Amino acid sequence: MNKKQGLSRALQRREDVAGYLFMAPSLIFFIGFVIIPMFICVGMSLTDATLHNAAPTRFVGLKNFITMWTDKTFLGALKNTFLIVVVSVPVTCLFSLWVASATYKMHNVPLSLFRVIFYLPVVTGSVAVTVVWKWIFDNYSGILNTVLKTSGIIQKNINWLGTPGLTIWCIILILLTTSVGQPIVLYISALGNVDQSLVEAAEVDGANNLQVFWRIKWPQIMPTTLYIIVITTINSFQCFALIQLLTQGGSDTNTVMYYIYYTAFKMTEQAGHFGYANAMGVILAIFIGILSAIQFKLGSEK
Amino acid sequence: MKKLLAMLLVLCLALSLVPMAFAADEEITLWTYPIGKWGDEAAVKELTDAFTADTGIKVKVEYLAYADGDDKVNTAIAAKNTPDLIMEGPERLVANWGANGYLVDLADMLDDQDRAEILSGALTPCINADGVMYEYPLCMTAHCMAINKTAFEEAGALQYVDLENHTWSTENFKKAVAAVYDYFGETVGAVYCAGQGGDQGTRALINNLYGGKFTNDEHTQVTWDDPNNIKAMAELLELEGIEYDASLAGGDEIAKFYQGALKMAFCWNSVQQANPNAAGTGEGLTVTGDEIAYMHFPTESGEPAELCGGIWGFGIFNNGDDAKIAAAKTFIKWMCDSEHTKDAVLTSSFFAARTAAEGTDLSALFDSELMNEYSAKMLPYLGDYYNVIKGWAAIRTEWWNMLQEIGHGADIAETVAAHQAVANAAAAA
Amino acid sequence: MKIKTGSSLGYRIFSWVMLILLALFFLFPLYWIVTGAFKPATDIYARKPVMWPSEWVMKNWQSLFVKRTAPLFHIFGIDGPTGPAAFRWLINTVFMAVMAMLLTCATAAMSGYSLAKKRFRGRALVFSLIIAAMALPKQVVLIPLLKEMSILKLMNNIWAVILPTVGWPFGVFLIKQFAESIPGEILEAARIDGASEMKTFTTVVFPMIKPGIGALAIFTFINSWNDYFLQLIMLSSNENYTISLGIATLQAETSVDMGLLMAGAALASIPIIIVFLIFQQYFTKGITMGAVKG
Repeated sequence: MNKKQGLSRALQRREDVAGYLFMAPSLIFFIGFVIIPMFICVGMSLTDATLHNAAPTRFVGLKNFITMWTDKTFLGALKNTFLIVVVSVPVTCLFSLWVASATYKMHNVPLSLFRVIFYLPVVTGSVAVTVVWKWIFDNYSGILNTVLKTSGIIQKNINWLGTPGLTIWCIILILLTTSVGQPIVLYISALGNVDQSLVEAAEVDGANNLQVFWRIKWPQIMPTTLYIIVITTINSFQCFALIQLLTQGGSDTNTVMYYIYYTAFKMTEQAGHFGYANAMGVILAIFIGILSAIQFKLGSEK
Repeated sequence: MKKLLAMLLVLCLALSLVPMAFAADEEITLWTYPIGKWGDEAAVKELTDAFTADTGIKVKVEYLAYADGDDKVNTAIAAKNTPDLIMEGPERLVANWGANGYLVDLADMLDDQDRAEILSGALTPCINADGVMYEYPLCMTAHCMAINKTAFEEAGALQYVDLENHTWSTENFKKAVAAVYDYFGETVGAVYCAGQGGDQGTRALINNLYGGKFTNDEHTQVTWDDPNNIKAMAELLELEGIEYDASLAGGDEIAKFYQGALKMAFCWNSVQQANPNAAGTGEGLTVTGDEIAYMHFPTESGEPAELCGGIWGFGIFNNGDDAKIAAAKTFIKWMCDSEHTKDAVLTSSFFAARTAAEGTDLSALFDSELMNEYSAKMLPYLGDYYNVIKGWAAIRTEWWNMLQEIGHGADIAETVAAHQAVANAAAAA
Repeated sequence: MKIKTGSSLGYRIFSWVMLILLALFFLFPLYWIVTGAFKPATDIYARKPVMWPSEWVMKNWQSLFVKRTAPLFHIFGIDGPTGPAAFRWLINTVFMAVMAMLLTCATAAMSGYSLAKKRFRGRALVFSLIIAAMALPKQVVLIPLLKEMSILKLMNNIWAVILPTVGWPFGVFLIKQFAESIPGEILEAARIDGASEMKTFTTVVFPMIKPGIGALAIFTFINSWNDYFLQLIMLSSNENYTISLGIATLQAETSVDMGLLMAGAALASIPIIIVFLIFQQYFTKGITMGAVKG
């Protein structure tokens, strides 16, 4: 018995060594450029560190975290960040599911064509795409206003990028076009892989299209959906470029991601308040961590 | 194959790291904002090449934009990656980076003759209250506004404008806006407030309309809740044809004016007049060939307005390297106080900040009619350079955020009071 | 059945119309960039949008190429010939994207396999850390990263962008999903044959996760090409810019010269679109395999 346990311990050690050796290259980068910065971030969030070395760094405990909840700009940014995630994740999923279900039975040529077209904005990149959208939404001679005005839908130009409550939706729309590419590709192949015999059996039983979809197809594409939710969530948190290049956080489009950058480097009196910026980073990281945990919990329960 | 790839990888890694060690010693870096043609690589290169030929000091120039230039400098400060030289105005050099201790005192570059030659309006803002000089001024101008003369004529609004003196009264301004709006049915002018870019235009407009002030005389507090300012903001909000536009910053406004969409621009100056939108399509003309007239901001009496000034020059970041600081001073001396100053000023396309430099007369640099007229009609009305108030960067942020909120329909008095409180806290900090 | 076919005909017409409209909508930005790059100023500044260039001109490209110049490369402290900075930006971007791609694929392949198949202690902890960090926006660690790069003397160096990109653990997660499907028996068989760990990895594991690596490669390439934020904070000189950053800087500088911006946007997007079109077959195959199995 003793011997066997020793053996398994040796085996375990072998697994440990091999496991970590394979992990090592990745871990160097991961620890070096994600974990360590995260620790520094937490550390700095408890101080009054600033950009200007004139002010000495002091430990201030949770002061930054308390200030945050009275900072209207931060609360607005937090609200927008959640709005973007809460809206764009389900909409992206539904939209791409619809496109996929409308295309997946097509012949190869139109299928590839649609797949590529819906992927194009992802590839084109936020900066290039933003340049165009700024023009589309232009208040005075933008395409959108021109089209709406000549077709008589509106009388007066709408200031798409300068109206609180509206501008954020414009940004969500742009974000949507740059995030549906991959989900569509995924859904097309997932729907193609659905077990046809089950679908046929259900149809024989008299189920209609909708019932077939919900009872047979939906459960089978569930893993894909979860994966899509994960990547879309990631994507929604990356909409920095859109905000920075289109509104600079104005017209109620601020997000926590942008506000961190703003607090750190914009020339305001707060600017250079590194402690505060890091505290916001920590809060954002905690929220994202919880969100990811929920998603994976759901994922492992399927 | 894999080995080859790995070797390639290592090679690339090595290659890209090596150059750091090879940086030439006699090289200084200059970061410049787009100040006239100081944002134009070809023009600046001519100057720096001549400087290098003269002194043996190489200059590496990076071009910043107003939209994100400040962020870049602040990022560089955080990463200890600041340039040796920076070109901008006192509101950044003196009130911000200087006040925070990043810049070198240039007072030792100033002798009695310099003090006599540099216009006092340009010199005073470059020196802080303790007598430390953070900016050596090179050039200056007065910012103004502009109208689309052709469109005004079509709409029959030219009668409200004194084109001889480039002035108009608040009453006539309102009549003109109404006339142009009635004729074209479109927004005439935009109180742009997407960001800080070009905010001198909105400040001057609101202050001049009924004679309000931006700060008190001592530059210790902002005075936005002055009833004259509130009245101006409220009237602009109500005036049909004027929109508070949170989707535009100064640069966008110029583009929209140049395009002919807007019939007035509040972000204007001599350089814009000489080359509208920097597009190279002719002095004083829009893209469609409409004529542009530069104007004072309207005042109640119809007298010339109190104009916001721009004073640009160089500051030196203290990177702890005396040799570089000395080289940077050589650069400033060469550009701002020598026989080459003429070229440096001409490159900016603005007016010289001094009357003469080392024996070269700078008072009449330009032989263009526009520049001479501008210098006679506008330059004398340069107002108080309040931008050196403490916390300026935060104050101007409050300013355009305040305009955004007013434009979105917030109560004017309350909004102004709230933002003024934050601004004054920054000024007192 | 017959009734259903009838009802779905109407639906099919509707969905075709919708799909074509949406496709046009998605194609529009690219169309606008490409035509805009060749429009004369009068079209660009026209009060009503001009859909097709009234005349095809090269002026926008000329101004893009003369506006900023830079040495085309920089090796061992020696500058290459001076040319349009946009070309240097492209060269930098390709270098950055390729390096990020190679490093990410190499490290993620090994660690993804390890996470999926090796039962080492602490595995659960490492995996949860990776999951938690996956969605983290880089803005969160903006300041620490900056300090770190400053200490490493990598500021204003393209490696300051590459290294954190490689550190972001999405690739590890993706490859792990693939490697899960490798049957344990095959690994066991290799071990019994006396193959070393490395040998097992290169001869058995690697071929099996190849499609995943292909997908990750294209994915990383596109992402780092377009990841503008890190470039924005790490790179400060014209000659080290990437194409995205270069174009964004031009936009910040002259939100006014839309023609030049369109030319820049075209230059930034066309190469990567071509790369994507060439490899899109592998890409779709790769991403679907990993995820759908997940």
